[in-house]
Amino acid sequence: MAGKWQLKDHEAEQRLFNRRLIVAASLVTLLFAALVVKLVDLQIYQYEYFSARADGNRLHSQYVPPLRGLIFDRNGELLADNQPIFNLTVVREQVVDMDATLGTLSQLVRITDDDIEQFKNRLRRSRVPYSSVPLRYVLSDAEQAKIAVNEHRLPGVAIEPQFVRSYPLGELTAHAIGYVSEINREELDALAEDERENYGGTNHIGKTGIERTYEELLHGTVGYEIVEKNNRGQIMRRLDRTDPVAGKNLTLHMDAQLQRAAEEALGDYRGAVVAIDPNTGGILAMVSKPAFDPNLFVTGISSRDYGALVTDEINTPLFDRTTNPYPPASTVKPFLGLAGLHSGLVDYTYTIEDPGYFRLPGVSYRWGDYTLRTALGGGHGHTDLMKAIYQSCDTFFYDLGYRMGIDNMHGFMSQFGFGDNFALDVAYARTGVLPSREWKMASRGEPWYPGDTINSSIGQGYMWATPLQLATAAAIIANKGTVVQPRMLKAVEGDAYEPLIEDAVPDVMLSDPDYWRYIEDAMTMVVHRPYGAFRDYGTAYEAIAMPDKDMAYKMAGKSGSAQVVSISQDILKSEDIEVSDLNKDHGLFISFAPAQNHLITPQIAVAVFVENGESGGKVAGPIAKAATDTYLLDILEIDFPALEAAGSDRFITQADD
Amino acid sequence: MTSQDFVRQATGLHAPNRGLSAVWRLLHTDPPLLLGIILLCGFGLFVLFSASGGDVAVVRRQALIMLAGLIVMFIVSQFSVYFFRRWAPSMYAAGLALLILVLFIGVETNGARSWLDLPGLPSFQPSEILKVVVPLMLAWYLASRPLPPRFKHLFWSAFMVLVPAGLIVVQNDTGTAIMVAMSGIFVVLLAGIRWRIVFSGVFAMLLASPAWYLFLAQEHQKNRILTFFDPYRDPTGAGYNIIQSQIAIGSGGLYGKGYGGGAQSHLDFIPESNTDFILAVLAEEFGLLGVLFLIALYLFVLSRGLYIAYAAKDMFSRLLAGSITLTFFLYVFINMAMVSGLVPVIGLPLPLISRGGTAIVTLFIGFGLLMSIHTHGRARSH
Repeated sequence: MAGKWQLKDHEAEQRLFNRRLIVAASLVTLLFAALVVKLVDLQIYQYEYFSARADGNRLHSQYVPPLRGLIFDRNGELLADNQPIFNLTVVREQVVDMDATLGTLSQLVRITDDDIEQFKNRLRRSRVPYSSVPLRYVLSDAEQAKIAVNEHRLPGVAIEPQFVRSYPLGELTAHAIGYVSEINREELDALAEDERENYGGTNHIGKTGIERTYEELLHGTVGYEIVEKNNRGQIMRRLDRTDPVAGKNLTLHMDAQLQRAAEEALGDYRGAVVAIDPNTGGILAMVSKPAFDPNLFVTGISSRDYGALVTDEINTPLFDRTTNPYPPASTVKPFLGLAGLHSGLVDYTYTIEDPGYFRLPGVSYRWGDYTLRTALGGGHGHTDLMKAIYQSCDTFFYDLGYRMGIDNMHGFMSQFGFGDNFALDVAYARTGVLPSREWKMASRGEPWYPGDTINSSIGQGYMWATPLQLATAAAIIANKGTVVQPRMLKAVEGDAYEPLIEDAVPDVMLSDPDYWRYIEDAMTMVVHRPYGAFRDYGTAYEAIAMPDKDMAYKMAGKSGSAQVVSISQDILKSEDIEVSDLNKDHGLFISFAPAQNHLITPQIAVAVFVENGESGGKVAGPIAKAATDTYLLDILEIDFPALEAAGSDRFITQADD
Repeated sequence: MTSQDFVRQATGLHAPNRGLSAVWRLLHTDPPLLLGIILLCGFGLFVLFSASGGDVAVVRRQALIMLAGLIVMFIVSQFSVYFFRRWAPSMYAAGLALLILVLFIGVETNGARSWLDLPGLPSFQPSEILKVVVPLMLAWYLASRPLPPRFKHLFWSAFMVLVPAGLIVVQNDTGTAIMVAMSGIFVVLLAGIRWRIVFSGVFAMLLASPAWYLFLAQEHQKNRILTFFDPYRDPTGAGYNIIQSQIAIGSGGLYGKGYGGGAQSHLDFIPESNTDFILAVLAEEFGLLGVLFLIALYLFVLSRGLYIAYAAKDMFSRLLAGSITLTFFLYVFINMAMVSGLVPVIGLPLPLISRGGTAIVTLFIGFGLLMSIHTHGRARSH
């Protein structure tokens, strides 16, 4: 050991150590210098960039969806409301492992494969980054609690409140009001650029009915806000906000009470009722039955529920019977009668001798009288136009139609809206068919045959009309030719709505205005002409006026029974329902009331369509009567005896408003 | 007059008040070093208060640990450095024994099986003790050998470094192993190991590194290296920390966003904002000036440490003081460099600023040794 100590040169070792210390100090300085250079680069030269990145991290612009406008009936009853629900939402950018997160969530709350599929569809849509995407709507309180407790395990998952549509009347207004549902890719693409922006915060868009027609009014304008979020996406502060503008509240002409009454009157039948106020054109009721619960669609209908709706081929609940066409059958007779009078082909004294069938000159085929398909045989005998209407004599109209020709028939009938859509805001309504030579050539590639005219003159064959069209036409007769186009919207935000009408439909002008009175009389006899001579009573007398001996007002109407054109083989094979039921005629009825009243103009025009109802007069007629009663007696509360007593010094043209 | 004496007088630190200076010496405390440490601790607590989101409990606990550290420092400094030299081999042996004990009854935390939970003692990490014991041992060994060290001595030195480092690697705590090894290597470097051996060693490591990367490196280590070269290869995963940290630092600018105004930290974008990445909080809130202030504080402590090494009376003290100071520097530099993206992410705290536990006490043991070196045996020489 001693030797080693002798070997040490303390002075030299200290110098060596000091040199090393200097090297170390230099290295310390150098490395700190490098650090400072790096920091200067980050904090001075790249300051702008990182500053922007920091803001981008925390600041998020997000949409604030507007509240959708409410929809009221004419008396302020809510038809479409907004209700708060709580949704489970996911911010994709903040989810570490989407599959794991979905797995965890599905253990906590009920999430169907359907939900996940719809969620993935929503994710695929182009969206603002860091926006929340709904996974499941309408969480219960218990479900919200479960999610909240497990929040720490679920980054990017949140519970968000949202206002969604609810339809308090449910099925009753399903077709007329329509429904909102989640906006889809196609609808989004169809929107203009700025409109698309407007839907940034909205998941829903009106799909059918009023909700679709007045989407622009109802939707409102989206708002924006700048929020500061932490790294888990929680909003810490709201920094700037542009408030959304709520959608407009709409008031419809529709009367919920009448709507209810009409629906009840239809009973178990499938069918449609449309009621119009002839004075204003306001659509008072629009019932299609069976319907569906529109609330199911709002938060995404399950495929099981949807499947049940679309596979029901008999009830077809999604099919709107008010705006789809059927053969109008004998309900067209008053219009053809007017055409005959107007063109001078018939007059008040013109009669035919009805053998019960019609034969074209030189043709052996006999067009039978459908109204007489009973065992009795024979015809109506001595028949003028009035009797041809209240007895619904086909033979008279075969003759009249044949002599009129399809061109005149088409020209005159089109003034009443057949083959056209007079409604101002029911754009989705079908136009049906008012056949003409041109139409047949274009659609069938065949020329018009005289036999086609014969079928058309009793509203069969190629002629198709919707219940909405029939009610419209009835309203025009009630107005004695004045056309007030049908409309749904009555007021916006409480202010009466004046629609902008381009190419207004002209009024129907007759060569002699007395013809209106004549046809009204004929139609009133349909309802009120009692049993007298054989085959000389109103076709609807038995079902309408006879049971109501003290009927306070007179009703003008016309029944129709349309032959069922075709039934799919599938349905015929179905065991759910007696096949014979589906072969039954469709029952139709048009009416207006009060009729023949010099003190008060008609207040309501109704068209009723009963699928496989067999008889227009017996089945559809009472439904029209029930609706009319409700409107005149319960809603307008017109006291007809008092009115009569007061005499002509009180003249009501418009009972409401 | 030796050069040390000259410098001591020229700095004039003790000159104005000989009486006060004598008191400090009696207390075995070096006032400049203490001042630097206290300033760092104070600044650290200040930053931690903001980084923890105003959590008083966190700050109080950290302050208590620092206070305990100061007491430990004071106790350590009361012992003469010769005491430590005498006991260095025994302490080294004891340290190794504890490391081996950890292998059998160690407790695992955060993936590293490095804690020892002995009855009657608070649980601690033996690897922390080795941070002090290894330089003590190396300094003891080399100081009594002729310098620069011969190859034989280097071989044994390497042995003394690698055995504890290897045992710590087995605990799955590579970061600490590297720091323990570096504290020993600093002794060897300061002892005057020939540069050509140093350079060949560095060269050999460079050559070996691809092999290490391909065959030995673990997945997370490879990831850290890949992320270092391109943080955006996995911006929400491996690269998230460094990206958010750089955003925080860069957006701090020259003056910072103000105390408590760091959006990145307060909105939780900075991970580990109380511990390893606390520099990002500081840089965001106090800007470049704040970081420069911190660097200045560190430089003050480091220069005092290097001065103590320079002024020490014997080779053992010099080597020990130099190694302690340089190890402290290495911590500071690696943390700051990793947070600013200069080196790959290595999980090391920022000394005296990051929230921490026993590792802080280890630092104070080192400071205590520095003070012991500087304050013992002086009285006799004057």
